[in-house]
Amino acid sequence: MRTLVLAIVGIAVAAAVLAVRGPAPEAGQASSHREAPLIAEDPSADTTDLYAFRSLDAPNHLTVIANWIPAEDPAAGPNWYRFSERARYAIKIDRTGDGKADVSYRFRFRNREDTLFLGNTVQDYTVTRVTNGRETVVARGVTPPNNIGPRSTPNYRQLADAAVTSLAGGGKVFAGQREDAFFADIGAIFDLVAIRKGTGNMGGGKDFFAGYAVHGIALQIPISQLDDSDHTVGVWATTERPRVKIRQFRKNGIRRFHEQKQWVQVSRLGNPLINEVIIPTRLKDKWNRLSPHQDAQFEQYYRTPILAAVINQLYGLGVPEQNRDDLVAVLLTGVPGLNFTGPTLADMLRVNLSIPPTASPNRLGVLAGDTAGFPNGRRLTDDVIDIAERAVAGKLKGHPAGDLLGDGVDGNDVPNLTSFPYENDPPSGFDNTKGQQKP
Amino acid sequence: MTRRTLTGAAVAAIAATALLVGGALRVGGEETTRTPTNQLVRTGLEEQSLARRTGEPTHYTRSERALRQALAQDPNDVRALIGLASLANTRHHFREGLALARRVLGLSQDMALAYGVMGDALVELGRFDEGFRAYERMVALKPSIAAYARVAQAQSLLGDNDAARTSIRLALDAAVDAETRAWAYVELGRLDRGDKRFAAAASHFRRALAVSPGNPLALEAWGETEAARGNLERGIALQRQAVANRFSPEFAASLGDLYAVAGRPKAAAKAYDVVRRQEQRLAENGVDTDLDKAMFQLEHGIDLPGSLALARRGYAKRPGTEASEVLSWALIRNGRCGEAVRYSNQALRFPDGHRYFHRGMIESCLGRKAAAKRLFRQALETDPNFSPIWARFARAQLH
Repeated sequence: MRTLVLAIVGIAVAAAVLAVRGPAPEAGQASSHREAPLIAEDPSADTTDLYAFRSLDAPNHLTVIANWIPAEDPAAGPNWYRFSERARYAIKIDRTGDGKADVSYRFRFRNREDTLFLGNTVQDYTVTRVTNGRETVVARGVTPPNNIGPRSTPNYRQLADAAVTSLAGGGKVFAGQREDAFFADIGAIFDLVAIRKGTGNMGGGKDFFAGYAVHGIALQIPISQLDDSDHTVGVWATTERPRVKIRQFRKNGIRRFHEQKQWVQVSRLGNPLINEVIIPTRLKDKWNRLSPHQDAQFEQYYRTPILAAVINQLYGLGVPEQNRDDLVAVLLTGVPGLNFTGPTLADMLRVNLSIPPTASPNRLGVLAGDTAGFPNGRRLTDDVIDIAERAVAGKLKGHPAGDLLGDGVDGNDVPNLTSFPYENDPPSGFDNTKGQQKP
Repeated sequence: MTRRTLTGAAVAAIAATALLVGGALRVGGEETTRTPTNQLVRTGLEEQSLARRTGEPTHYTRSERALRQALAQDPNDVRALIGLASLANTRHHFREGLALARRVLGLSQDMALAYGVMGDALVELGRFDEGFRAYERMVALKPSIAAYARVAQAQSLLGDNDAARTSIRLALDAAVDAETRAWAYVELGRLDRGDKRFAAAASHFRRALAVSPGNPLALEAWGETEAARGNLERGIALQRQAVANRFSPEFAASLGDLYAVAGRPKAAAKAYDVVRRQEQRLAENGVDTDLDKAMFQLEHGIDLPGSLALARRGYAKRPGTEASEVLSWALIRNGRCGEAVRYSNQALRFPDGHRYFHRGMIESCLGRKAAAKRLFRQALETDPNFSPIWARFARAQLH
């Protein structure tokens, strides 16, 4: 029964992960089509992961990392993965707990050339800081090229380092291809009986994201620019695309595409897995369009998660289905005494800036007493799959289905960097190995 | 490109399905659990995706079975409903597609994809303004590749190819997978082809093939373009590959016509056999092929009275400009030119070479020789290769 609990909750989470990331890369290959039907509709707009943490090497800064374009295959050729030129990417920060952005960092990318034949994936970008409606360009940066291999892109570490750019007024920024720091055993989770070792808490899982890359944006912001008396900020990432009209507006017979350009937010991400696990299908487009301060209307889906009901309906596990104020607190208001931001319900990744980073992080974060990790921000090493499995099963309410759950992958397949931008260099197309078996 | 009209529709449907299925699965986040309903929805949508990739129509039947079972378990499952709506459209049952899309919108006013599917049905039913409004709603709720693709289609129908290019470029910029990028390049090539910029079109088709080797959409469109600019053998070689790489009666008919004008009647007859076999398979799997069949027979002088009956039946079910064109052509071919005027006018709401030519045939049939010549000239100016077979005929009438 333990295995079953594990597997069921696991499946739920795995499928959720798939929903945002497209297929597990290997699932796509098994059907011998990279253009497998499960590939997400708009991978260059859908944020896959958001992280926010203080790091040991820069404890006076808040680091925020957001990723897009899941499952980039380093060996795909020609390699054309890059940020969308016609999209607007942003990292947003609420300092006051009202769910509205007080500081936004907006990113626009420009291609150097059509990459198709030359494989030039270098993009120039601009970072604009928006506060109180005032826009200031705080950086102009260049992405490194994608990691093709030792001949096309030699000394990749140096290329990536050279791409780190200072922000005007303090801090730094990086944008470009990165190793996907996310880790999960999608294959085992999907197969009811194939948890690779025991109940999953003993390791031995296979990281299906090993060897794959993403496109990431990393920001390091001086805490002095964000902190105030309650110390907690809320962070989320958004992507916007322009709306177009069928009948183009013309002025004096001249086409004006840009004058009627209206940006529509098509993706947002604060806490992990919300759009996938919590929000019902018919409301997803709406949820993605809104700002966290409008989240009260979705409270019932956090408080009475469909997922818990389904698990009980199918398997009778007695997972608490209703009055999940534990989930509401973690996801919408912050946890009192840890990162509570007030009564406003807003889905944000909350970070208490007064909690210092620890030299010995626990992958289970707050669940294991390590308050420097999820749900107090999220570090690259936080095991959100295991945390989510345990949380949905009622761990925070003391439900017994809790402690042994996991997918058997407890960390990333490669070490993360110890300094900015923390996510490691992407695997090169030349010598990549995807989906490594962990020992 | 004898069967240009319906080829256009079919290709649009293929592209739309490509984008739709991605979208449907994307919104399908309630597949967060492996419940039986979720598995059925997943299967149903995957089958449509397979149908799109291979053209093989048995996938339609399998998709419908799975989605109907899902709906039996949960009559309000929006993913199953959207899947069935898009399937109905793919099978040319546009009234059913419309009704299903409306059901989704009754459950949620906020699903961008449902507006897209509703717009697809409305456009095919000849209700263009409503259809275009649905597309604009879709792009306002969630700009995406699927939404940009539909906006581009509407812009192209309205004759604004520059606007359509801008929209396709938005889609191309958003695309990261090979199939979608290839699709966008093919669309850009088609727009160039429509503007008689053959070299530019060919270079877009080449790009599509560089991204997606053997891509049948690119091979077919490139082959047609080569034939249109006089490279008949090149066109045949490309279209042969297209037919080999994908089940599509449209592609086979197009290849047959190139064989016919190249003076290879045996090869043409063989290609036309493929058309008949494949259309039979489509019909067996629930696709309404009345208009396609009528068009094919009319173009090739087969069973003209029977074709008129098919065209009337098709028009009754699907009164868009394509049906108007087929019905007008059927009336012309049966000598009922006066009656054809009304349908020709409807078709000319969105004029092209074919439709000018048909109008010329009406004028000619009604004894107005000067008007006929003027329209034949206009047809050829609009598209010198609107049909390999009938463009020749039109050219001959000018002398």
